[in-house]
Amino acid sequence: MRAREAEVFDLGYQRYTGPREGRNRARLALFENGVRTVLGIGRGGRAKILPVGLFLAVMIPAVVFVIILAFIGEGGADFIPGPADYYSIVSVILIIFGAIMAPELLCPDRRDNVLPLYLVRPLTSNDYLIARFLAFFAIVLVLVYAGQIVLQAGLILTASDQVEYIRDNWQDVPRILFMGVLIATFISVGPLAVAAFTTRRAYAAAFVIAAWLLLNSISDGLTVETSCTIVTTGDRGGDAIIEESSFEVGSTIIPEEEVVSRECTRPAGDLAPYVGLLHLGGVTDNINNMVFDVDLEPGQGAPSSMAVAELHDAFPIGVYVLWTGIPALLLWHRYRRIRL
Amino acid sequence: MSFDVHEGVTGLLGPNGAGKSTAMKLFLGLIQPTSGSAMLLGEEPYRSTEGRARIGYMPENECLPKSMTASEFLMHMAQVSGIPPAQARTRAADVLRHVGLDEERYRPIGEYSTGMKQRVKLAQAIVHDPVLVLLDEPTAGLDPDGRQEMLRLIHRTANTFGISVMLSTHLMGDVERTADSVIVLESGVLAQEGAVAKLTEETETLLIEVADRHEEFVTALAAKGVQASDDGQLLVIEQAREADYDLIRDAAVESGARIRRLSPERRTLSDIFRSRPA
Repeated sequence: MRAREAEVFDLGYQRYTGPREGRNRARLALFENGVRTVLGIGRGGRAKILPVGLFLAVMIPAVVFVIILAFIGEGGADFIPGPADYYSIVSVILIIFGAIMAPELLCPDRRDNVLPLYLVRPLTSNDYLIARFLAFFAIVLVLVYAGQIVLQAGLILTASDQVEYIRDNWQDVPRILFMGVLIATFISVGPLAVAAFTTRRAYAAAFVIAAWLLLNSISDGLTVETSCTIVTTGDRGGDAIIEESSFEVGSTIIPEEEVVSRECTRPAGDLAPYVGLLHLGGVTDNINNMVFDVDLEPGQGAPSSMAVAELHDAFPIGVYVLWTGIPALLLWHRYRRIRL
Repeated sequence: MSFDVHEGVTGLLGPNGAGKSTAMKLFLGLIQPTSGSAMLLGEEPYRSTEGRARIGYMPENECLPKSMTASEFLMHMAQVSGIPPAQARTRAADVLRHVGLDEERYRPIGEYSTGMKQRVKLAQAIVHDPVLVLLDEPTAGLDPDGRQEMLRLIHRTANTFGISVMLSTHLMGDVERTADSVIVLESGVLAQEGAVAKLTEETETLLIEVADRHEEFVTALAAKGVQASDDGQLLVIEQAREADYDLIRDAAVESGARIRRLSPERRTLSDIFRSRPA
């Protein structure tokens, strides 16, 4: 008996009679596609190197701190950075992630001219933008939380009394969650706005990183304390005036309790606090210090943050709103009048 | 300007710069009219997102993401048209098979030839089973074989798939091969509109050449009331009708002329273009 030959049946074209879910399905599809694009899912291995590498880079500080904690034990928590410092430590890596990955999301669609295909479907350009933004925002949020979760786990597990540690520090959890949202928004919206103005991914990434380096070094350079006049009391025989920037307050040379007053000069002079607001890393760092209730001691933190601390809280908050609001407006404006 | 798009294939014909693409983009809501309004399927498309769920569009220029595979891209586009993931997967596979992309569909689109890209462009325009699909210069940049294949696919889309097609082109041949009716645009103005068969039929020309007795044949024809222009060798009958053939036969019998050539020249759309007063 011969086996029957395989047959191919052409069923012909079938009309689609299934469900049509309209705009919400379209938005969801764009969101999913955005996440896949950034993470390189469904593309070659090369597309995954960057997201995976940057993810590891963000995790490394947390992992290192936890390892230190594990070796030193509870005492280590006093001198290694905690949740309040973590975001400012990884902000450089986060902005690199934003600078490189945000263009990945917007540039190819415009370079390959895919946008018309989206906009003839049940979507508006705002739907497109919001879906793309949320996709990127979600990834950055997972990224910023992941390190904090590892760090928290390490702190709790190495504490001698875990229940007590949690009772004393539970407030860190809402702070971490809230600050994470603020940081993820800042890291997403700015680079996305830059990416909206070029079809070349490298240009967008270079622009963001250059702006970050430039503004930060200008701001820090003009707000750094060049020389200080420190009035002290104590063993040095009454009032002593020391004009030397290298004397660290709190060091053995000048014990903190002996300092009466401290007057420092900065290149930007009286404008220093405002120049400090230019610092891009400070946009979230300053808010972070408010949220975590950090009091900056002289010599700690970036010079720009020290200078900004002299201003009313409304200033750093206002700067944050500007640095997220203006890029958001630019994005919206750009896509509203995009030429197809 | 107002015109109707019927079932089947409607050709939107005009030279470069006549406003074909602009007209399509207006209907699709990609651009907004400076004055007046563009309505498609009874809706203003840039206002109604839901109305756009049943329209397909194939742009003229490249519009495909290079890093995605055709399969992934089609699934994505079906979903963006509102079709849930499971059904989108089936639709994508079906439509890619219909346009003749098999194994290649798992390779990134960036590696495709022009012909394959055109097929993916067509596939994405019909993946959500639209009522109407607008194709902007679908044969642009294709070699003769690719062009034939594309025209065959367009014909199939309209006649087998039952999707109405509006096709813009500057090539008369494309319209003649596929379209049932045609809209002629020139410098943004509607120049002519009607069924392709009717437009070409009305201008059918008959060429006659006789081997001998030329004069007698002409006289016999004139006696029967058939107007023919005569250049001494070739007779040209403009706008010949069905009945003229009988009269020509009778004239040939009466005059005893032997007909060497009797060729009906169904004039192409390009002739209509040329003869039309500017």
